[in-house]
Amino acid sequence: MLLLRIAFYFALLSLVSVGGIPSVMPEMQRQVVDVNGWMTAAKFTQMFAVAQAAPGPNVLVTALVGWQSGGVAAGAAALSAFCGPAAAIAYWIGGFWDRMRDAPWRRAFQRSLVPVTVGFILAGGYVLATPHGLDWKSVLIAGASAACLYFTRRNPLWMLAGGGVLGYLLF
Amino acid sequence: MTEAGETQFAPPRSLWALYLGFLSIGARSFGGVLPWAHRVLVEERRWIAPGDFAEVLALCQFLPGPNVGNVSVVLGRRWFGARGALAAFAGLIALPLVWVSALAVLYAGYADVPEVRAVVTGVGVAGGGLFVGTALKLAKPIARRPWGLAIAAASFGALGIWRVSLFAVLPVAVALGWAAARRGRL
Repeated sequence: MLLLRIAFYFALLSLVSVGGIPSVMPEMQRQVVDVNGWMTAAKFTQMFAVAQAAPGPNVLVTALVGWQSGGVAAGAAALSAFCGPAAAIAYWIGGFWDRMRDAPWRRAFQRSLVPVTVGFILAGGYVLATPHGLDWKSVLIAGASAACLYFTRRNPLWMLAGGGVLGYLLF
Repeated sequence: MTEAGETQFAPPRSLWALYLGFLSIGARSFGGVLPWAHRVLVEERRWIAPGDFAEVLALCQFLPGPNVGNVSVVLGRRWFGARGALAAFAGLIALPLVWVSALAVLYAGYADVPEVRAVVTGVGVAGGGLFVGTALKLAKPIARRPWGLAIAAASFGALGIWRVSLFAVLPVAVALGWAAARRGRL
């Protein structure tokens, strides 16, 4: 049954979402676009765009991807399945972690995750920024927004708005 | 901020106040929820000291799940137990969920208009660019660490280019990162 499959998949995804939503975007896109064919890569990037244009945590993209894959109920299932397991882990680990404040393995573990999350988030950006493959238009828009974020302290909404204008002109 | 120190910070008085605090984070956090979480929790409501907030955030950034969502669960639990965790998380996503649903329905009505589709695709591509910029910022501590760069590049290639499943990539990448960190290479 589609609803159960979506809930189960997003619950699994929740458990490996080290680095948050950006890290799981390549895997999510692989599943709904490449494996199941529930939407095109362009549609996936558009759903992400709608979620980015709303306030609040970007976890809301799971609701939109679920909705696009199997209707409103699937959207609710995807969002709750993605939030549930991660929230449970945060709930149980919170106290434990505070007690381990000075443990040497804690620092080593934190350091060991830095290159992993960097690679994952980079992959998330690449997959979302190339809905039509690696063409100069996408590279221009994504490169400009990445550079603005890296070098300035402007609100990211400006980069998204700029992306909308460039998208209108180029796509 | 003056020298008065940690004594000025006090937990929310009630579950309802906690809910309203996170509601105001969710309602205003266009373009990124983290700066608003800091503003509301540390500066406006003064529920938690800056150093304490940074500690909680560091934990939540590498737990699985949405970072600030995890912050809401950890802090809600600290102050009011399971009910607090639930209230804080519900407050955080209530209004954004209404907003994003309305936007999605609105967009569905215009998705066939090529100009609208072009604008929305452009926003999505720029959003992908924001992830790239974020990754570059996070990469500063490993910029001169060949092992770190190699692990980051391999993780990127496996997920982004060769489209290997995250479920296969994550255990290998974490094991490599752990090995490098243990040898003092990170």
